[in-house]
Amino acid sequence: MVKRSKKAKTMRKIIKAIWIFNWFNSCGFIELVPLVGSRWDMERFGMIIVGTPRHADVLFIAGYQTLKSIKRAQRVYEQMAEPRVVIALGSCTMTGGMYWDSYNTIKRLEDYLPVNLYIPGCPPRPEAVFEACEKIFQHVKELQ
Amino acid sequence: MVTKETELLDEIKSEFKVDGRVQRKQRIWVSTDKNKLIEMCNWLKDHGFVHLSAVSVTDWLEDGKYELTYHLWSYDDKILITVKTKIDREKPTISSVMPIWEESAQIHERELHELFGVKFKGNSDLVPLFLEDWGGPPPFRKDFDWRNYVREEYYSKENEREKVYYD
Repeated sequence: MVKRSKKAKTMRKIIKAIWIFNWFNSCGFIELVPLVGSRWDMERFGMIIVGTPRHADVLFIAGYQTLKSIKRAQRVYEQMAEPRVVIALGSCTMTGGMYWDSYNTIKRLEDYLPVNLYIPGCPPRPEAVFEACEKIFQHVKELQ
Repeated sequence: MVTKETELLDEIKSEFKVDGRVQRKQRIWVSTDKNKLIEMCNWLKDHGFVHLSAVSVTDWLEDGKYELTYHLWSYDDKILITVKTKIDREKPTISSVMPIWEESAQIHERELHELFGVKFKGNSDLVPLFLEDWGGPPPFRKDFDWRNYVREEYYSKENEREKVYYD
Protein backbone atom coordinates (compact mmCIF):
# COMPACT_ATOMS: atom_id res chain seq x y z
CA MET A 1 0.00 0.00 0.00
CA VAL A 2 1.29 3.40 -0.91
CA LYS A 3 1.61 5.70 2.04
CA ARG A 4 0.25 9.11 1.39
CA SER A 5 0.71 12.22 3.45
CA LYS A 6 -2.29 13.89 5.01
CA LYS A 7 -2.03 16.75 2.58
CA ALA A 8 -1.99 14.42 -0.39
CA LYS A 9 -5.07 12.68 0.92
CA THR A 10 -6.85 15.96 1.24
CA MET A 11 -5.82 16.93 -2.22
CA ARG A 12 -7.05 13.65 -3.67
CA LYS A 13 -10.46 14.23 -2.24
CA ILE A 14 -10.81 17.38 -4.21
CA ILE A 15 -12.24 16.49 -7.52
CA LYS A 16 -12.85 19.99 -8.65
CA ALA A 17 -10.27 22.45 -9.80
CA ILE A 18 -10.88 26.03 -8.85
CA TRP A 19 -11.19 28.50 -11.63
CA ILE A 20 -10.78 32.10 -10.76
CA PHE A 21 -11.97 35.28 -12.30
CA ASN A 22 -10.07 38.37 -11.22
CA TRP A 23 -11.79 41.67 -10.75
CA PHE A 24 -8.96 43.92 -9.72
CA ASN A 25 -9.43 47.60 -9.55
CA SER A 26 -6.25 48.99 -8.19
CA CYS A 27 -2.95 47.90 -6.71
CA GLY A 28 -4.50 44.54 -5.86
CA PHE A 29 -3.59 43.03 -9.18
CA ILE A 30 0.04 44.04 -8.97
CA GLU A 31 0.30 42.49 -5.54
CA LEU A 32 -1.19 39.21 -6.67
CA VAL A 33 0.83 38.72 -9.81
CA PRO A 34 3.39 36.60 -7.85
CA LEU A 35 0.62 34.04 -7.40
CA VAL A 36 0.59 33.40 -11.10
CA GLY A 37 4.35 33.31 -11.44
CA SER A 38 6.61 30.39 -10.79
CA ARG A 39 7.51 31.11 -7.18
CA TRP A 40 4.02 30.97 -5.71
CA ASP A 41 2.51 29.17 -8.67
CA MET A 42 -1.17 28.63 -7.97
CA GLU A 43 -1.71 26.22 -10.80
CA ARG A 44 -0.19 23.42 -8.74
CA PHE A 45 -3.34 23.59 -6.61
CA GLY A 46 -5.56 23.41 -9.64
CA MET A 47 -6.30 27.08 -9.58
CA ILE A 48 -6.26 28.93 -12.83
CA ILE A 49 -7.38 32.32 -14.00
CA VAL A 50 -10.07 32.18 -16.63
CA GLY A 51 -11.02 34.80 -19.12
CA THR A 52 -14.72 34.96 -18.46
CA PRO A 53 -16.85 34.96 -15.31
CA ARG A 54 -19.13 32.34 -16.88
CA HIS A 55 -16.40 29.74 -16.43
CA ALA A 56 -15.31 30.85 -12.99
CA ASP A 57 -16.05 29.38 -9.58
CA VAL A 58 -14.34 32.04 -7.55
CA LEU A 59 -14.42 35.79 -7.93
CA PHE A 60 -11.38 37.58 -6.57
CA ILE A 61 -12.00 41.21 -5.82
CA ALA A 62 -9.00 43.25 -4.81
CA GLY A 63 -8.58 46.83 -3.84
CA TYR A 64 -11.07 49.64 -3.54
CA GLN A 65 -14.10 49.67 -5.76
CA THR A 66 -15.42 52.94 -7.06
CA LEU A 67 -19.09 53.67 -7.32
CA LYS A 68 -18.79 53.10 -11.03
CA SER A 69 -16.80 49.86 -10.99
CA ILE A 70 -18.89 48.14 -8.30
CA LYS A 71 -21.83 48.03 -10.68
CA ARG A 72 -19.70 46.20 -13.21
CA ALA A 73 -18.48 43.86 -10.47
CA GLN A 74 -22.08 43.06 -9.61
CA ARG A 75 -22.78 42.21 -13.22
CA VAL A 76 -19.71 40.01 -13.33
CA TYR A 77 -20.95 38.23 -10.23
CA GLU A 78 -24.40 37.71 -11.74
CA GLN A 79 -22.87 35.97 -14.73
CA MET A 80 -21.10 33.35 -12.65
CA ALA A 81 -22.58 29.88 -12.36
CA GLU A 82 -23.54 28.38 -9.00
CA PRO A 83 -21.88 27.45 -6.72
CA ARG A 84 -19.86 30.61 -6.58
CA VAL A 85 -17.55 32.16 -4.06
CA VAL A 86 -16.48 35.75 -3.63
CA ILE A 87 -13.14 36.44 -2.01
CA ALA A 88 -12.24 40.00 -1.15
CA LEU A 89 -8.59 40.91 -0.84
CA GLY A 90 -7.00 43.75 1.00
CA SER A 91 -8.13 46.16 3.65
CA CYS A 92 -9.79 48.42 1.08
CA THR A 93 -12.59 45.96 0.55
CA MET A 94 -13.20 45.63 4.29
CA THR A 95 -13.20 49.18 5.57
CA GLY A 96 -12.15 51.35 2.69
CA GLY A 97 -8.55 51.11 3.90
CA MET A 98 -6.58 54.24 3.23
CA TYR A 99 -9.53 55.47 1.18
CA TRP A 100 -11.88 55.50 4.16
CA ASP A 101 -12.67 59.17 3.56
CA SER A 102 -12.84 59.12 -0.22
CA TYR A 103 -16.14 60.34 -1.62
CA ASN A 104 -15.99 58.05 -4.62
CA THR A 105 -15.12 54.61 -3.27
CA ILE A 106 -17.30 52.10 -1.51
CA LYS A 107 -16.40 51.26 2.07
CA ARG A 108 -17.71 47.75 2.71
CA LEU A 109 -17.90 45.28 -0.11
CA GLU A 110 -20.47 43.15 1.69
CA ASP A 111 -23.02 45.93 1.26
CA TYR A 112 -22.88 45.29 -2.48
CA LEU A 113 -21.87 41.66 -2.97
CA PRO A 114 -22.20 38.51 -0.85
CA VAL A 115 -18.59 38.13 0.28
CA ASN A 116 -17.59 34.67 1.47
CA LEU A 117 -14.13 35.46 2.68
CA TYR A 118 -12.05 38.52 3.46
CA ILE A 119 -8.28 38.42 3.28
CA PRO A 120 -6.86 41.32 5.28
CA GLY A 121 -3.60 43.01 4.46
CA CYS A 122 -2.36 45.91 2.49
CA PRO A 123 -1.62 43.99 0.36
CA PRO A 124 -2.23 40.41 1.56
CA ARG A 125 0.77 38.13 1.28
CA PRO A 126 0.56 35.18 -1.13
CA GLU A 127 0.56 32.83 1.88
CA ALA A 128 -2.59 34.49 3.15
CA VAL A 129 -4.22 34.03 -0.22
CA PHE A 130 -3.30 30.35 -0.19
CA GLU A 131 -4.75 29.97 3.26
CA ALA A 132 -7.95 31.43 1.95
CA CYS A 133 -7.83 29.06 -0.98
CA GLU A 134 -7.45 26.14 1.34
CA LYS A 135 -10.69 27.27 2.91
CA ILE A 136 -12.30 27.20 -0.51
CA PHE A 137 -11.10 23.64 -0.96
CA GLN A 138 -12.71 22.88 2.37
CA HIS A 139 -15.83 24.54 1.12
CA VAL A 140 -15.77 22.44 -2.03
CA LYS A 141 -15.42 19.32 0.07
CA GLU A 142 -18.43 20.28 2.09
CA LEU A 143 -20.41 20.84 -1.07
CA GLN A 144 -19.87 17.28 -2.26
CA MET B 1 17.41 89.78 -27.28
CA VAL B 2 14.80 89.01 -29.89
CA THR B 3 13.84 85.36 -29.96
CA LYS B 4 10.95 83.60 -31.60
CA GLU B 5 9.22 83.53 -28.20
CA THR B 6 9.35 87.30 -27.69
CA GLU B 7 8.37 87.86 -31.30
CA LEU B 8 5.32 85.69 -30.90
CA LEU B 9 4.36 87.34 -27.61
CA ASP B 10 4.63 90.81 -29.13
CA GLU B 11 2.44 89.67 -31.98
CA ILE B 12 -0.19 88.33 -29.56
CA LYS B 13 -0.03 91.50 -27.46
CA SER B 14 -0.56 93.79 -30.43
CA GLU B 15 -3.34 91.60 -31.78
CA PHE B 16 -5.38 91.13 -28.59
CA LYS B 17 -4.11 93.73 -26.03
CA VAL B 18 -3.45 91.11 -23.34
CA ASP B 19 -0.89 90.53 -20.59
CA GLY B 20 1.78 87.92 -21.03
CA ARG B 21 5.35 87.04 -20.40
CA VAL B 22 8.07 84.78 -21.67
CA GLN B 23 9.05 82.61 -18.75
CA ARG B 24 11.96 80.91 -20.43
CA LYS B 25 12.89 79.32 -23.69
CA GLN B 26 9.91 77.57 -25.28
CA ARG B 27 7.51 78.76 -22.57
CA ILE B 28 4.97 81.61 -22.77
CA TRP B 29 2.19 82.62 -20.41
CA VAL B 30 -0.74 84.74 -21.52
CA SER B 31 -3.71 85.96 -19.49
CA THR B 32 -6.80 86.98 -21.35
CA ASP B 33 -10.40 88.02 -20.89
CA LYS B 34 -12.91 85.24 -21.38
CA ASN B 35 -14.64 87.10 -24.23
CA LYS B 36 -11.44 87.14 -26.25
CA LEU B 37 -10.59 83.51 -25.60
CA ILE B 38 -12.20 81.86 -28.62
CA GLU B 39 -10.91 84.48 -31.00
CA MET B 40 -7.44 84.09 -29.55
CA CYS B 41 -7.51 80.30 -29.67
CA ASN B 42 -8.54 80.44 -33.31
CA TRP B 43 -5.67 82.81 -34.02
CA LEU B 44 -3.19 80.59 -32.19
CA LYS B 45 -4.33 77.49 -34.00
CA ASP B 46 -3.81 79.27 -37.30
CA HIS B 47 -0.29 80.11 -36.12
CA GLY B 48 0.73 76.50 -35.55
CA PHE B 49 -0.65 75.64 -32.12
CA VAL B 50 -2.51 72.58 -33.29
CA HIS B 51 -2.00 70.51 -30.16
CA LEU B 52 -4.16 71.16 -27.10
CA SER B 53 -2.35 69.15 -24.48
CA ALA B 54 -4.46 69.99 -21.44
CA VAL B 55 -7.24 72.12 -20.03
CA SER B 56 -7.35 72.64 -16.30
CA VAL B 57 -9.19 74.66 -13.68
CA THR B 58 -7.77 76.38 -10.62
CA ASP B 59 -10.21 77.23 -7.88
CA TRP B 60 -9.49 80.66 -6.36
CA LEU B 61 -11.85 80.46 -3.44
CA GLU B 62 -11.03 83.89 -1.92
CA ASP B 63 -11.45 85.74 -5.22
CA GLY B 64 -14.60 83.84 -6.16
CA LYS B 65 -13.04 82.88 -9.48
CA TYR B 66 -12.20 79.82 -11.49
CA GLU B 67 -9.09 80.11 -13.59
CA LEU B 68 -9.09 78.07 -16.76
CA THR B 69 -5.74 77.13 -18.23
CA TYR B 70 -5.20 75.94 -21.76
CA HIS B 71 -1.85 74.44 -22.67
CA LEU B 72 -1.06 74.64 -26.36
CA TRP B 73 1.91 73.19 -28.18
CA SER B 74 3.31 74.11 -31.54
CA TYR B 75 5.16 71.38 -33.38
CA ASP B 76 6.69 73.88 -35.80
CA ASP B 77 8.08 76.40 -33.30
CA LYS B 78 8.47 73.98 -30.36
CA ILE B 79 6.76 76.43 -28.03
CA LEU B 80 4.36 75.69 -25.19
CA ILE B 81 1.95 78.55 -24.72
CA THR B 82 -0.35 78.68 -21.73
CA VAL B 83 -3.50 80.74 -22.04
CA LYS B 84 -5.27 81.63 -18.81
CA THR B 85 -8.66 83.16 -18.30
CA LYS B 86 -10.82 83.79 -15.25
CA ILE B 87 -14.51 83.11 -14.94
CA ASP B 88 -17.04 83.55 -12.18
CA ARG B 89 -17.01 80.78 -9.63
CA GLU B 90 -20.70 80.69 -8.83
CA LYS B 91 -21.93 80.64 -12.41
CA PRO B 92 -19.02 79.09 -14.28
CA THR B 93 -19.91 79.31 -17.94
CA ILE B 94 -17.57 79.59 -20.89
CA SER B 95 -17.59 78.83 -24.60
CA SER B 96 -16.21 75.47 -25.54
CA VAL B 97 -13.02 75.23 -27.59
CA MET B 98 -14.40 72.09 -29.19
CA PRO B 99 -14.98 73.77 -32.57
CA ILE B 100 -11.23 74.44 -32.63
CA TRP B 101 -9.53 71.35 -31.19
CA GLU B 102 -12.43 68.89 -31.37
CA GLU B 103 -12.02 65.60 -29.51
CA SER B 104 -8.98 66.52 -27.43
CA ALA B 105 -10.93 69.47 -26.07
CA GLN B 106 -14.09 67.47 -25.59
CA ILE B 107 -12.78 64.96 -23.06
CA HIS B 108 -10.98 67.59 -20.99
CA GLU B 109 -14.03 69.79 -20.82
CA ARG B 110 -16.21 66.85 -19.94
CA GLU B 111 -13.96 66.05 -17.00
CA LEU B 112 -13.88 69.65 -15.80
CA HIS B 113 -17.64 69.83 -16.02
CA GLU B 114 -17.84 66.82 -13.78
CA LEU B 115 -15.22 67.85 -11.23
CA PHE B 116 -15.76 71.61 -11.08
CA GLY B 117 -19.19 72.13 -12.58
CA VAL B 118 -17.95 74.41 -15.36
CA LYS B 119 -20.48 74.62 -18.17
CA PHE B 120 -18.86 74.60 -21.59
CA LYS B 121 -21.28 76.04 -24.10
CA GLY B 122 -21.00 74.19 -27.37
CA ASN B 123 -19.56 70.94 -26.03
CA SER B 124 -21.43 68.00 -27.50
CA ASP B 125 -21.34 65.64 -24.52
CA LEU B 126 -20.95 66.65 -20.88
CA VAL B 127 -22.28 63.55 -19.12
CA PRO B 128 -20.28 62.43 -16.05
CA LEU B 129 -17.08 60.61 -16.82
CA PHE B 130 -16.13 58.91 -13.53
CA LEU B 131 -18.91 59.77 -11.13
CA GLU B 132 -22.02 57.83 -11.92
CA ASP B 133 -25.15 58.68 -9.90
CA TRP B 134 -23.34 61.48 -8.16
CA GLY B 135 -25.64 63.51 -5.94
CA GLY B 136 -23.20 65.84 -4.23
CA PRO B 137 -21.59 69.09 -5.36
CA PRO B 138 -18.70 69.05 -7.86
CA PRO B 139 -16.06 67.32 -5.74
CA PHE B 140 -12.98 69.32 -6.72
CA ARG B 141 -14.39 72.62 -5.49
CA LYS B 142 -12.34 73.83 -2.57
CA ASP B 143 -15.36 74.44 -0.37
CA PHE B 144 -16.56 70.86 -0.75
CA ASP B 145 -16.04 69.15 2.60
CA TRP B 146 -15.50 65.62 1.33
CA ARG B 147 -14.73 64.15 4.73
CA ASN B 148 -18.02 65.41 6.06
CA TYR B 149 -19.79 64.18 2.94
CA VAL B 150 -18.35 60.70 3.44
CA ARG B 151 -19.41 60.66 7.10
CA GLU B 152 -22.98 61.50 6.18
CA GLU B 153 -23.11 59.24 3.17
CA TYR B 154 -21.32 56.09 4.33
CA TYR B 155 -20.91 55.98 8.10
CA SER B 156 -22.98 56.08 11.22
CA LYS B 157 -21.90 57.61 14.50
CA GLU B 158 -23.92 55.03 16.40
CA ASN B 159 -21.94 52.17 14.90
CA GLU B 160 -19.26 51.07 17.35
CA ARG B 161 -16.75 50.30 14.62
CA GLU B 162 -17.26 53.56 12.78
CA LYS B 163 -17.20 55.93 15.74
CA VAL B 164 -13.49 56.56 15.18
CA TYR B 165 -14.21 58.29 11.90
CA TYR B 166 -15.95 61.10 13.78
CA ASP B 167 -13.03 62.00 16.08
